[in-house]
Amino acid sequence: MSENKMKKTILKIKENLSDFAEGFFKEQAAGILEKEIEDFNDMFMILCFGDLLGIPTPASYYTLELLPYFIGEIDRWESRINRRSKVFSERCARYDFCC
Amino acid sequence: MTSVVEKVIGKKFTFFSGKGGVGKSTCAAATALFISENDRKTLLVSTDPAHSLSDVFNKKIGRSIFSITEHLDALEIDPSFEAKKYVRRVKSDISGIISPVLISEIKKQIEIAYLTPGAEEAAIFDKFIEITQNKKLNYDNIVFDTAPTGHTLRLLSLPKILGVWIDSLIEKRRKIVQLKKSVDRIYGRKGKNNEDPLLSLLLKRRSRFELARKILLDKNRTCFIFVVTPEKLSIAETKMSVELLKKYKIEITGLIINRITPEVKNGSPFLEKRRKIELQNIEHLNALLKVNILAKIPLLDMDIQGIEQLRKLREYI
Repeated sequence: MSENKMKKTILKIKENLSDFAEGFFKEQAAGILEKEIEDFNDMFMILCFGDLLGIPTPASYYTLELLPYFIGEIDRWESRINRRSKVFSERCARYDFCC
Repeated sequence: MTSVVEKVIGKKFTFFSGKGGVGKSTCAAATALFISENDRKTLLVSTDPAHSLSDVFNKKIGRSIFSITEHLDALEIDPSFEAKKYVRRVKSDISGIISPVLISEIKKQIEIAYLTPGAEEAAIFDKFIEITQNKKLNYDNIVFDTAPTGHTLRLLSLPKILGVWIDSLIEKRRKIVQLKKSVDRIYGRKGKNNEDPLLSLLLKRRSRFELARKILLDKNRTCFIFVVTPEKLSIAETKMSVELLKKYKIEITGLIINRITPEVKNGSPFLEKRRKIELQNIEHLNALLKVNILAKIPLLDMDIQGIEQLRKLREYI
């Protein structure tokens, strides 16, 4: 009986450890990658739709056909841009290595 | 066969360019007519938004292929129609992908596309690529009557400019797709392994731009003829465009000098003076450009309109 109980406890500890590892390492790694995706997405957006911000694009005519495949991402992108209060703070957070 | 037709007949694509009002359309139409009379199926295409082929042939040529003689067809590209067709396609693409609520949201964007600078050029450029790539159009020769110099130079330089732009877009998108896959892998998610539709769209565009570039640079398939009048302004503009085209590695095949004042017996001193100036200008042109002069067409005592009158140019072109 007690052997079985011990097995259960060990299993539980193992599970918790793996949860911890996943939470700690995976989230952090994915977070870094996601930040990078955001960066590239920003650049992509400016290259595509910069003419709406006053940056001339040589081919705004051709970016139109990209729009249908983009619309989901535009939504997310727009809300992210709207949400952040300061551009600099977002930038600086990227170099915050302590945690 | 005379010089121009001889030079051009072996090339699938011929472009006529020059300053506005020098007689490009007439020369292009005459050349196309004479090529077609050598038993070759010929298509004459106007890329000038202000078309004049209809006036040259005295027939209503439109945006779909119009048969002029047995072997000669003509077409005037209608940029606003092509742009609308493109926008309609995008709209139908959209309705297949996203919800109607979002569609109304981006309709604004779509309407802007009509108005963006360069939309007309891009529409003409797309049609041009379509004509060169369409295998159903079974022509031996295709002659392009292009818009005045500035417009044409833009058209010819588009593939290079757009190439640079689309390259950087593709690079960024690739990176995004790659990073997204990495994130999926971290979480052990089975990412959708199918091709990113945006990326494949961009790649398709790029390959079309590259095809256009290849055609424009291929000396075995393509030739460029400039039409000039023996006047200072016309020559200056031609010099500028020849140099600009050289930058894009496009070489001019030859020149047609149009509307030279003819020698008239007992001519007035007025005409004689004019003739002298023109001869000087032609000499100057020769020294300046070092491009073959393929034909010299004198000022005629009538307007050229319709096939019968175009045939009068045969001895020159």
